[in-house]
Amino acid sequence: MGSASSASRVAPSPSAILRAEKITKVYPDGTVALLDVDLEVRSGEILGLLGENGAGKTTLTKIISGLLPPTRGRVVSPQGPVRFSSPREALAFGIGMVHQHFALVGTLTAVENVALVHPGAGSPPRYERVRRLVEKLMAESGLRVPLDVPVEKLAVGEQQRVEILKVLSRNVQLLILDEPTSVLTPVEVDELFGFLSHLRQQGKSIILITHKLKEVLALADRIAVLRRGKLAGELTLAQASPEKLAQLMVGEATPRKAAVELQVGETVAERGQPQAGHGSVVLEVQNLTVPGDVQALAVQGVSFAVREGEILGIAGVEGNGQSELVEALTGLRRAKGGQASIRGVDILNRDPRQIYRLGVAHIPEDRWKLGLVLPFTLAENAILGVHRWKEFRGPLGALRWRRIQRHVRSLIGQFGIQASGTMAPARSLSGGNQQKLIVGRELAKDPAVIIASQPTRGLDIGAAQYIRELLVQMKEGGRAILLVSADLDEVLSLSDRVAVMYGGKFMAVGSPGEFDRQRIGLLMGGVAR
Amino acid sequence: MKAALQRLLPRARSLVRPIVESLLAGLVGLGVGALIMWIWGHSPLRAYQALFVGAFGDAYGWAESLAYAVPLILTALTFAISVRAGMFNIGAEGQVYVGAMAAITIAYLKMTTGWHHLTGLVFAALAGAVWSLGPALLKITRGVHEVISTIMFNWISRWMCFYLIANVLVDPRRAEKTVSIPRTARFPILIPGTDLTASIYVAVGFALLIYFLLWHTVTGYEVRAAGLSPTAARYGGISAKRTLALSFVLGGMAAGLAGAVIVMGVPPTYAEVTGLGYTMGKGFDGMAVAMVGRVHPLGILFSAIFFGGLSAGGRAMQGVGVPLEMVRIVSGVIILAMAVPELVRVFRLFRVFRLRRAPVGGA
Repeated sequence: MGSASSASRVAPSPSAILRAEKITKVYPDGTVALLDVDLEVRSGEILGLLGENGAGKTTLTKIISGLLPPTRGRVVSPQGPVRFSSPREALAFGIGMVHQHFALVGTLTAVENVALVHPGAGSPPRYERVRRLVEKLMAESGLRVPLDVPVEKLAVGEQQRVEILKVLSRNVQLLILDEPTSVLTPVEVDELFGFLSHLRQQGKSIILITHKLKEVLALADRIAVLRRGKLAGELTLAQASPEKLAQLMVGEATPRKAAVELQVGETVAERGQPQAGHGSVVLEVQNLTVPGDVQALAVQGVSFAVREGEILGIAGVEGNGQSELVEALTGLRRAKGGQASIRGVDILNRDPRQIYRLGVAHIPEDRWKLGLVLPFTLAENAILGVHRWKEFRGPLGALRWRRIQRHVRSLIGQFGIQASGTMAPARSLSGGNQQKLIVGRELAKDPAVIIASQPTRGLDIGAAQYIRELLVQMKEGGRAILLVSADLDEVLSLSDRVAVMYGGKFMAVGSPGEFDRQRIGLLMGGVAR
Repeated sequence: MKAALQRLLPRARSLVRPIVESLLAGLVGLGVGALIMWIWGHSPLRAYQALFVGAFGDAYGWAESLAYAVPLILTALTFAISVRAGMFNIGAEGQVYVGAMAAITIAYLKMTTGWHHLTGLVFAALAGAVWSLGPALLKITRGVHEVISTIMFNWISRWMCFYLIANVLVDPRRAEKTVSIPRTARFPILIPGTDLTASIYVAVGFALLIYFLLWHTVTGYEVRAAGLSPTAARYGGISAKRTLALSFVLGGMAAGLAGAVIVMGVPPTYAEVTGLGYTMGKGFDGMAVAMVGRVHPLGILFSAIFFGGLSAGGRAMQGVGVPLEMVRIVSGVIILAMAVPELVRVFRLFRVFRLRRAPVGGA
């Protein structure tokens, strides 16, 4: 506990607009998410809230924004203690939160979703008022979205922009953003940060939840670090350094060096020699075209090959056909034309099960929708996709629970999954542990090809770095890996070759060394040199 | 030790919670029912005493309660299987009729006992399964919602069976009923003087079979996965068409068997009468039984016996002066209260995946 934090607690700043005092949260399953946490938000500041997954960042802000009641403790405003029984009440008070997983009605348009938080704006004539408001906000913030398409048809990044616009439209005094940049492009991140600074100048307060050190260092005035449900420290920007923050986050005397390096922009590739693919071709794709949900062709003629012992990374802004490409290669979406094969066996328009039989592991971009059956137990989830293996199937198709239990326990041990037991529902795990479960399950297939889509999205440094190391290990073990990620550092540091995808096409393919950040930014924005 | 505890604790919790919930809901239902009776001047105490004594007070009460439960166990399974597979199959009603008709056809066969029983059950199960294939194929090939199609199939089944009863399977000596099941295929009465027959073994056996299938086989795993998350199931290489067809066929078999246990196991007529008097409503009642039984085969066993108790005890309530209509109102209130927790859970479950809402505690 640093001296800065104790000082601020003894003497509350007069400019505080909200104080969380001694917040403790115990979930019904007994998990202690927060223990005696104090947090102060001052007017006109950006407060960076740092912490690993499961540290309690989201829980704390959910309590502040009225989504969860605290088990103990209170939230105090200058007018006295406040207690919100719903996010709606918090919003009316001037506190709005943009969640990492969105609270949008998929079948409604952006305007209709925004109208939902404006009581009395539910009738079509009044949508016009909301539309004008949204258009004004879009012009100010640079957060552009299509207004008349059901939001479920929008890309994840666009959906998030709708969420931000929704909260901004209520003219909040305190804006809470949970990992807002994880789905944005570098350009969009700059725009968002510019907009947040603008908000700060207007005297508004912002809590920025993130695990990216770069972001808090670039933007925050003060930084609070949570570790395992407790406040690990509170620093001003001047007191903060990447090393110090990382140390507070992970709680080790010497922070894991690689973790810090990756966060501040240095790459694995710079530390070691990238290994050029020299094995035989495993996954080969030629002139592949795939239809999208909205656009006729989301993937417009893509060709590439992935060799044994090679990671091909696909960089690019989300929504440029990466998802559709992965879905076509894993049997989840019908392709329109072209060819794709694994070791010469055609895989286009086959069932996922047939494709898995060829030795494909798929780490999907959406953990909740694809990767896990959330109400299922860990044990049940640990065999999803491999449940028909002889190992788990006895006479009469009976599940061999003993072996399944042994399997899931070995995954828990091997991949360090934090869970209350093998019979706990997957829903009860934190995001990082859910992802470890998926990655563990997929790697346990002993695959020839690994298709990993956004494998570290939303994860804390430790978990993300661990999963990256696993991918590198698998590559060194001779697997062919296709890595799709919106995290530029991740793609550049892990890949042997990088392809930049824009508008359903590859803008360029080359070794990571051939791309500097400016060039890749241009390519991702659709500007070829 | 600690590890064992960690394994068992979630299980114990998932077992105890629904029981406590159901008991509390049942108490609320009893309370509201008592209030209604009190308002209209009936003594709740005397009525409830009669209800419990009549239902479970002696062997006769137990036997009547159990006998009433037998077809309901099977039709409740139909609904439960479909909900577990992510659907609302409300076609049990029509499938029961068809199953009953198929079972009656064995009256024309001469067989030894045992084989005769088996033939009747197989006929009925097959008929129920075939009948349920209609809505299943409509959904798979044309995307027709199962609620619409099963309701329509219920009506088709109803009039078709009216026709069969009056014109084809009719008893030549007594036009108001079908031919009776011969003695070689009747389920023997277990407790003399009551309606409880060995058909209860069929219902309990099938419930245990469905439990094993859904929770302890690869096929059941696929059905449940598809029911809870169609997208994740597809990612896991599970064919939605297959799980859909399978859940319909299994449900159809259960409902068909319900038809069989009614005509082969309800003394004294061992037949169906004009207007489907014996089978009418069993399919729909099964949905309520399934809800109270937490759409779980083992819960359904208890729930069906509870429904049987309400029926047997209801007669005893009339014996102490509560009119039939009031008995029905009170039973309805109790059933509704006990179905509420599962109704809430199921609707929430189906909604969660449509709106992509975040589960609580997602760090």
